[in-house]
Amino acid sequence: MNCLDFRRRIGAEPRSRDPELLAHRDACKDGCAAFWQRAQRFEDDIEAAMAVAIPEGLADRILLAQATGERRRQLVRRRTWMALAASVLIGLAGGGMLWRQADLNSLPALAVAHMPGELDSLDLTQPMTDAQVEAGFVGRATRLKGPAPAGVTYVHDCTVGPYPAVHLVTRMNDEPVVALYMPGKMSSKTTDFRRDGWEGRQVALSGGTLVVMAQGASRGTMDAVERGWRAAIEGPAAPRVGQI
Amino acid sequence: MAPVKEGVNPKQRQYEAMVRALSADLYRYAFWLSRSETVAQDLVQETFLRAWKNLDALRDAEAAKPWLITILRREHARLYERKRLDTVELDDNVPEDTAFASPERSGDAAQVREAMLKLPDKYRDPLAMQVLGGMSCDEIAESTGQQPGAVMTQLFRARQRLKALLGGRAAAEGARK
Repeated sequence: MNCLDFRRRIGAEPRSRDPELLAHRDACKDGCAAFWQRAQRFEDDIEAAMAVAIPEGLADRILLAQATGERRRQLVRRRTWMALAASVLIGLAGGGMLWRQADLNSLPALAVAHMPGELDSLDLTQPMTDAQVEAGFVGRATRLKGPAPAGVTYVHDCTVGPYPAVHLVTRMNDEPVVALYMPGKMSSKTTDFRRDGWEGRQVALSGGTLVVMAQGASRGTMDAVERGWRAAIEGPAAPRVGQI
Repeated sequence: MAPVKEGVNPKQRQYEAMVRALSADLYRYAFWLSRSETVAQDLVQETFLRAWKNLDALRDAEAAKPWLITILRREHARLYERKRLDTVELDDNVPEDTAFASPERSGDAAQVREAMLKLPDKYRDPLAMQVLGGMSCDEIAESTGQQPGAVMTQLFRARQRLKALLGGRAAAEGARK
């Protein structure tokens, strides 16, 4: 490094601790050490001049602005989350209420709710005549298209919820099975249910809906009763072509 | 000011320490950049607010000051963009006096300040970054988007111009010391 390079570097970076610069300063016999000294003093002056007075409380004001902004953001975030949570809760509660309302108005629920006033009918064992059974259906403006199943011990025209119904009890294998036929109440599918100690099935028929249910009856008995009432209400199934 | 409490989260602690350690130098840099106390205060406030939002980007404590200075320069450029139509040539402006309203106004520091205010921006800005920000030529070059050699030339010329503006004082300084 020559003196010109040294002075250019010191002129740009007087505080540099580059070993090459310091070595030249210490070794040079042409006044570079004095130049360096003057540069340091001039730099001291520049630093002193640049150190303008700091406004009182500057750091505190900066921190206050940051803390205030941050708190505001937190409040906005909290309110947003609370609004979201409230929306979700309201949605869930509303959905739950709608579901519960729909469930309470379902046929299985209405059928089970109908039973407490009719429990004595389950104890009847005396078979009814076909004429009595048919009369029960006529009371609901329905005419049977096939023979009623054997072992019908109870028939009565009731109202299940808002629906007019024929209430039947069929005793099969000494097990009472309730059948509630609601003419005109159309449903699109057959579903099984279990509710308040009752097992049952909601069956869609061509002219209405049949609910078959029992407490503790075997599945075979339930199926047989369902088939019997389906055949009586809709008529015997037409023989299928090719079926033996 | 009460010390930072232990319950404060680490990010907040880091931020508070950074504000306390660097706000003075940052304000001084902002002052020499804008030549206005009011603008300098606004710039420092805005810079630290932006720094808070991006604090996770700061990995190294040593890099904090250059990082803040880079943010402040961007804020100043934005401010200049917004106010461009209202701005008059600063070189013709009298700087706000509070920073100079001290007994040293009549002394050497005041003379150097007057001279510094006459420096063109292209010299004063890198000089302030170096003196107040402690930034190397490479760091200044990175922050200003220039080549390090160009920055070195600007720093050399800034000091030469200052000496020229100070005239006999600088010449006398050599003899004085």
